[in-house]
Amino acid sequence: MSLTVLRLAAVLYVAAYLTYFARPRHVLAARIGAWFLAAAFAVHTASMGLGCKEVGGLEFFSLRGGFVLTGWTVAVAYLVVQRFYHLPAVGAFVTPLVLLILAPFLVGEGHQAEVAKATLQNPALTFHIFTAAAGVAMFAIAFGVALMYVLQEREVKGKRFGVLFSRLPPLQSLDTLTQRLVRLGFVIFTVALLLGAFTAKAVWKSAWSWDPQQITSLVIWLFYGGLVQLRHAGWHGRRYALLTMVGFALVIVTRVGLHAIPGLTIHTGSYSVGPQEGTQ
Amino acid sequence: MSRSRLFLVGLSHKSAPIDVRERVALTGDALKDALAQLKGMDGVTEAFVVSTCNRVEVFIQAEGEAAARHFFTSRAEQAEEHLYAKQGPEAVRHLFRVASSLDSMVVGEQQILGQVKEAYGLASAAQAAGGFMSRLCNRAFATAKRVRTETGIGRGATSMSQVAVDLVEKIFGDLAGRAILLVGAGKMGALSAKALRVLGADTILVTNRSEERGRQLASQVEGTFRPWGELSQLLVEADVVIVSTGAPSFVITADMMRTAMKARRHRNICLIDLAVPRNVDPTCADLGDVYGYDVDDMEKVVSANHEARRGEAVRAEAIVESEVVAFTQEREARAALPVLATLRQRAEKIARAEAERTLASVGGKLDQKGRRSVEAMAQAIVNKLLHGPTARLKEAAASGDTALPGAAAALFGLDEQDQPARSGRGREGNGAARAAASSENAQ
Repeated sequence: MSLTVLRLAAVLYVAAYLTYFARPRHVLAARIGAWFLAAAFAVHTASMGLGCKEVGGLEFFSLRGGFVLTGWTVAVAYLVVQRFYHLPAVGAFVTPLVLLILAPFLVGEGHQAEVAKATLQNPALTFHIFTAAAGVAMFAIAFGVALMYVLQEREVKGKRFGVLFSRLPPLQSLDTLTQRLVRLGFVIFTVALLLGAFTAKAVWKSAWSWDPQQITSLVIWLFYGGLVQLRHAGWHGRRYALLTMVGFALVIVTRVGLHAIPGLTIHTGSYSVGPQEGTQ
Repeated sequence: MSRSRLFLVGLSHKSAPIDVRERVALTGDALKDALAQLKGMDGVTEAFVVSTCNRVEVFIQAEGEAAARHFFTSRAEQAEEHLYAKQGPEAVRHLFRVASSLDSMVVGEQQILGQVKEAYGLASAAQAAGGFMSRLCNRAFATAKRVRTETGIGRGATSMSQVAVDLVEKIFGDLAGRAILLVGAGKMGALSAKALRVLGADTILVTNRSEERGRQLASQVEGTFRPWGELSQLLVEADVVIVSTGAPSFVITADMMRTAMKARRHRNICLIDLAVPRNVDPTCADLGDVYGYDVDDMEKVVSANHEARRGEAVRAEAIVESEVVAFTQEREARAALPVLATLRQRAEKIARAEAERTLASVGGKLDQKGRRSVEAMAQAIVNKLLHGPTARLKEAAASGDTALPGAAAALFGLDEQDQPARSGRGREGNGAARAAASSENAQ
């Protein structure tokens, strides 16, 4: 059931994308696009609600659940962002990003992890999941905006005043937005890591156990922290945009990679077992 | 019966040189007086004048174009040879094309619609424009709006300074808190700097080899003059640099730019070189965070946009054509109402005549009350008989059906005599069509 609803949400995301992309500078089209996106988001939310009812919150412990949640946060984050920055063209980059995040999970249900009841009742864990997803969502939108910057920069600098040139927002706006999203994402991600450490302390009996998930998360945290610092050192523009894109690539590669190799990490696996005891 | 229709007489940038146009162009109160004068002329029921620096066009609703022609010849004799005249649907099409900016010097420019609206407002205020002009102009505005939204005719900058504005806007968004630097006193530079004001730059700095000329220019663009020797420093302060000096070599070299970028901490800078030969070393644009453009780059954009607009103009013409057809049809539908008026009038005339005839032969035997009864009976027969046709014709008029009024006119034989212009094309009612029709019939 939740899967069917999710597919419906995907259709609505496609509709939002098409309206945004068709006429990004058209006021009415932008408004319609926003409504489509809001509708998609609502259906997406319903799908997650149904999922919770079906598997009782366990679904967030799989890669699938994590990504569905990330896509959801990307959507809500963009809906918030567009209230403050009127850049409908960003919608044309963010909506396909949501679709990309959701796409692999529209095919089938996927297996659910086994998680002990006591673990589920840990409030730090709930917040950890939501902040982690929100942080990644910020990085995802930053990626989309940075990609727009790189494309627009190529047009402006290369004197190619084509379709993209007229459709994409000014470089300055994109640059500023990237930086703010990176900073906000970094703050949220920091909270997520701290909450993760709390959870680990409670469940794994150790806040830091050199689990590959912890190591990669630390690397990502340091990377984005570096980005925030570089901004203060005057970095901006193309180089900054490229680094922002690298950052998100790092996030995706590590998250997918860690799950592709079974037993590499116990994160999102069985929480009742300590890390020393190995697999699953 | 007079046949009053729409006439247009005018001249524009296509037909007349500026010294003729400026002699006939009118604004404000002078135009109001001219409108009143036009309206007062024999046979002119409505008038409307579009007067801009590129065109002066007189639209009148009259029996002939003489009054409109007089408007021009009374002001400048030599105007006569530059005039063009159109009537009926041709004149309607012309107005729609003008409002849609298809007849403008720069096709697709946006000002003309505002100017036509203003012209209509003036004519309306001077009570020279009535019901017909109101319908005509509103249709013209609607057409222009359709053209603007359904085609890309207004898209893309068509002047160098506008291209400069577009470019700068794509780099910086707006220029709040930023400075524009004008290097050299070239005319194009000053124009671009002025155009860039719309982006809200805080300061305009001006530098020039000759201080006197530089100060002059600075006051002209409301900027601050800075001595030529400070150029290197100015490159650090400004974010948009417009260069148009008469120098035969590079005024801004790559080395200068490299030093400046370091001092700027690589904040973006936009260099616009409007000089020929070029004043900015083209290799400057290869530096990071430097966006450099020369005259050729800008010219390319301008001509590409012109090309695009020409393509869109074809689509726009189709829209105009369909609107002209729709407008003419609507007018023909309105012609159903005069048919009705004529029909009624004729029937009543017959009823009156028959009543009189009857009364002449047998009236002597009747008292006052009896006579009135005969007249009332004749009237009642007319009313009852025409009740159905009246309702049908009104319906036809409302739904834009032109066949029925024609059929009615033929059936009742209204074509042969006293028919006030059934061919809707010729009839342009003043005010509500029915009122107009009855007043015309009363003549």
